[in-house]
Amino acid sequence: MTDWLQISSNAVIVAFFLYCFSFIAYAVAVGGSRFSNREPEVHRKRWGNIGLWLAAAGWAAHLVYFFARWAGAGHIPVSNLYEFLMALGIAMMLAFFVIRFAYRHPLLGAFALPLTIIIVAYASVFPSEVQPLVPALNSIWLRLHVTTAVLGEAFFAVGFTAALILILRVTDFSRTDKAGRRARFWAEFTLVVIVIVIGFLVAVFGFRAAGYHAEFRQETVTVDARGNVIEQESTVEYGLPPIFKPYNSETVSMDPFLGMTEPLFETPSWMNGVNAGRKWNTVVWSVIVGLLLYGLLRLIIRKPLARAIQPALDGIDPDDLDEISYRAIAIGFPLFTLGALVFAMIWAQIAWSRFWGWDPKEVWALITWLFYSAYLHLRLSRGWHGIRSAWLAVIGFLIVMFTLIGVNLLIAGLHSYAGVS
Amino acid sequence: MALIQNTKCECGHQNPVGTVLCEACGKPLDEELAASDSVLEMRYDGMARRSQKPHPNLIDRIWNFFSSVRVAVWLILITLVAAALGTIFPQESAFVNLTDPAAYYRENYGTAGAIYHALGLSRTFESWWFITLLVMIGASLVICSLDRVLPLYRALTRQQVRKHPQFITRQQVVYVGPVPGDAEEWTARFAEILRRKRYKVRTEGTALLAEKNRFSRWGPYVIHIGLIVFLLAVLMRGVIPGWYMDEYVGLDDGEIEQIPRTNYFVKSLGFRIDFYSDEELPEHLKGQLRVKQFTTKAVLYECVAYCDDATRDPELREVASHDIRVNSPLSYKGLRLYQYDFAETPRLISVRPTLIDKRTGRSYGPFELPMRDPPLTYSVGPFTLELKDSFPEFGLDENGEPVTLSREPNAPAFVFVIKGPGLPEEGVPYLYFPREADRQRFGQDRINGAAAEMFDIRVMSMEDVEFSTYTSYLNVRVDRGMPYVWTGAAITMIGLVMGIYWNHRRIWLRIDDGVLSLGAHTNKNRFGLRAEVAAALAKAGIEVDAKALDNRRKET
Repeated sequence: MTDWLQISSNAVIVAFFLYCFSFIAYAVAVGGSRFSNREPEVHRKRWGNIGLWLAAAGWAAHLVYFFARWAGAGHIPVSNLYEFLMALGIAMMLAFFVIRFAYRHPLLGAFALPLTIIIVAYASVFPSEVQPLVPALNSIWLRLHVTTAVLGEAFFAVGFTAALILILRVTDFSRTDKAGRRARFWAEFTLVVIVIVIGFLVAVFGFRAAGYHAEFRQETVTVDARGNVIEQESTVEYGLPPIFKPYNSETVSMDPFLGMTEPLFETPSWMNGVNAGRKWNTVVWSVIVGLLLYGLLRLIIRKPLARAIQPALDGIDPDDLDEISYRAIAIGFPLFTLGALVFAMIWAQIAWSRFWGWDPKEVWALITWLFYSAYLHLRLSRGWHGIRSAWLAVIGFLIVMFTLIGVNLLIAGLHSYAGVS
Repeated sequence: MALIQNTKCECGHQNPVGTVLCEACGKPLDEELAASDSVLEMRYDGMARRSQKPHPNLIDRIWNFFSSVRVAVWLILITLVAAALGTIFPQESAFVNLTDPAAYYRENYGTAGAIYHALGLSRTFESWWFITLLVMIGASLVICSLDRVLPLYRALTRQQVRKHPQFITRQQVVYVGPVPGDAEEWTARFAEILRRKRYKVRTEGTALLAEKNRFSRWGPYVIHIGLIVFLLAVLMRGVIPGWYMDEYVGLDDGEIEQIPRTNYFVKSLGFRIDFYSDEELPEHLKGQLRVKQFTTKAVLYECVAYCDDATRDPELREVASHDIRVNSPLSYKGLRLYQYDFAETPRLISVRPTLIDKRTGRSYGPFELPMRDPPLTYSVGPFTLELKDSFPEFGLDENGEPVTLSREPNAPAFVFVIKGPGLPEEGVPYLYFPREADRQRFGQDRINGAAAEMFDIRVMSMEDVEFSTYTSYLNVRVDRGMPYVWTGAAITMIGLVMGIYWNHRRIWLRIDDGVLSLGAHTNKNRFGLRAEVAAALAKAGIEVDAKALDNRRKET
């Protein structure tokens, strides 16, 4: 059992590096075509194929992770956020392969791979220990519900990547009117958000590697359903230097950081989710590190990121991207409906005695479904193709990510077992 | 002032008002549209819809409102936002007993919570406005579908092979060019190529119509039917009496209880918690208690006689038994019993006490004394014990009289009359507390007085005590709408697969004076259609790049 788990965790590392190499190959395919001696078309094909083979090898390792962990844990590894995000990464690669081969588009990987890499890295933020299944999860429907839903979401993710390329491809940097400036702003803003997500990963793993630790004792006062006042004292641990300490808390211990020996601010009282202080502090750090990274990138390339990427996308046909994005979402929609709603309802009926209970996770799955059905209906109308539809695909993916992660971290509910600390 | 539209096409066909493309030959009827060369909008093949009727009356206006896809999208988005608002704070329905919701939201979530509650958002999903939104979506589903499916059906079942050149050359996928060799021969050859690609092909001289996967066009309507069935089923279960029941039963081991509002009784043969063994746990959790499963061994009985007769015990017949676990309910004729919760409540089930005659020092028994429904007489050695009274939870009222505080055996007490050799005719009363703690607390010997000098009743060892550690709570449900809910969901899924994983493809062509005009249309996946047409043309001797067939590219 332990051997299997060891194989599994080694396989993740192999997969992660192969994905990174694959991304580098794709980046060479996209960015290097103008510097290569070969014909651009030949250059793209060659490096695109190298990227594809590396991605396939990475995916094979990722599958080894999945099945070895299954063998080691004795149940399908989709029962906490770490395992779930890993499964999402695997599904995203599968969706990417399907779309890649349906459309023979050589450069989709240049954007799908970084997304997968971010997801895999993000998964590693959460504790990766194997947990025994709680009774409610001990069901065949766990497999059906999660794998089908995650596959649908993976296709939405691929739809999002195609939409993002489309946005970067068609943003017009020569326009100076208001609409043109707005389009440029939002394209750049999307990239800034992605850099902030990377900033989050850098901050978390950087301080984790440095072994940073701070601890607080927090007093919370709540009132229960019968009107009794409950005072609780709890210990909150930080892995990042506390710019914001928890609301109403005392410092127990704190490693100094750059001469900072006391927390700078206190988290406002109205943020009262579970561990709101730590989450808020992490958000602040992510933004700081993300913006520093972004500033550094701007210093190096001396122009907006979107503008720097655009010339590399010259050879890609925007209509094809529109079609790919739409088709990926259309393929994902029935899978999502089946996995995230129908199988979920069947399981809820068996485990919780009702097929629908307006639990936050259920509601957000419904919101995702409503949003994509609105998207599919809008595609029927004139004027909702191309850039507008691409923005919808981006918003849709944000809703998917909120449903998957945000709900667990921000809102308590029946699915909270899937969250962590 | 209504504009009189000339709806008669040059081909001679008389079209209804609102028609965009002639029902027969496909020529654009609108003059402005006919003069341009943009790609044609092929929705419902340009047929007139009921919602485009001139001079709408009130009903027409309601119809028109709900038949609009724009309105449908707005309804979806409003519902989406409403649902999102409903998840900001927990809904009231998430609490079992919330006595003062307003105070709860104010105290836990501050001003935002108070506003949230005052706006009714803490009951979003039961609110009239949310349900109205769902009903409006239902109306939109029905009316949108009817408004479109009928014209589409008519258009697709009456297709003419020879179409107007404008109709053909303004499709999404277009090829115009010379035909090698004899026109009729080429058309026949091309027809054969398309048949091999599973197209249904009709020809009229040098005109051709090829079509496949028409059924996929019905996908969206099948989805909408499924959703309507689903919504109606959900609505019905709230409305029809007896369709829906949600009750809870708490059972100690060995206890039998009637399920409220039914003729059924359920008995627990024992509740058990299983923990993961160390071998099953990963390294870092070894030695910890991790729950693996909760199980209630349950037997379901149906009452067959004396069900409402207070003077007699009901006559029960066993109908089902099952180990109820999380994820594995007991199911019998639409009645489902779920493992819902448990509580640690150590309670006696029965004791086997011994009667000690202090005068002789001899002891008799033991005898079986169940806590629930104890028998009325017991013979123990030479003595007879008659049960005069029993108190499941013994207590004293304000007058100092003994009463029972509940029906649960939390502090059981029994009043016996002991009769036998050397005792008065009417017997000796004796109060017995099986639990040692109660015996001390209430002072059994003091109450019994002289009788305590003569007799003692007590349990000699733990083997003579049977007790239940847990109370298991079962959730009993009846939900007769479920088959319809699942049917609706299944129909929706079939529709989704039909409509999304297949696509309807049509190819029209005509050859005029050796020049081929070919147009093709699909409702989804232009890419695939383009590649298919290019491959078919290549087989028929016309080499053309798939991308060059895309009509929109020619615009720019």
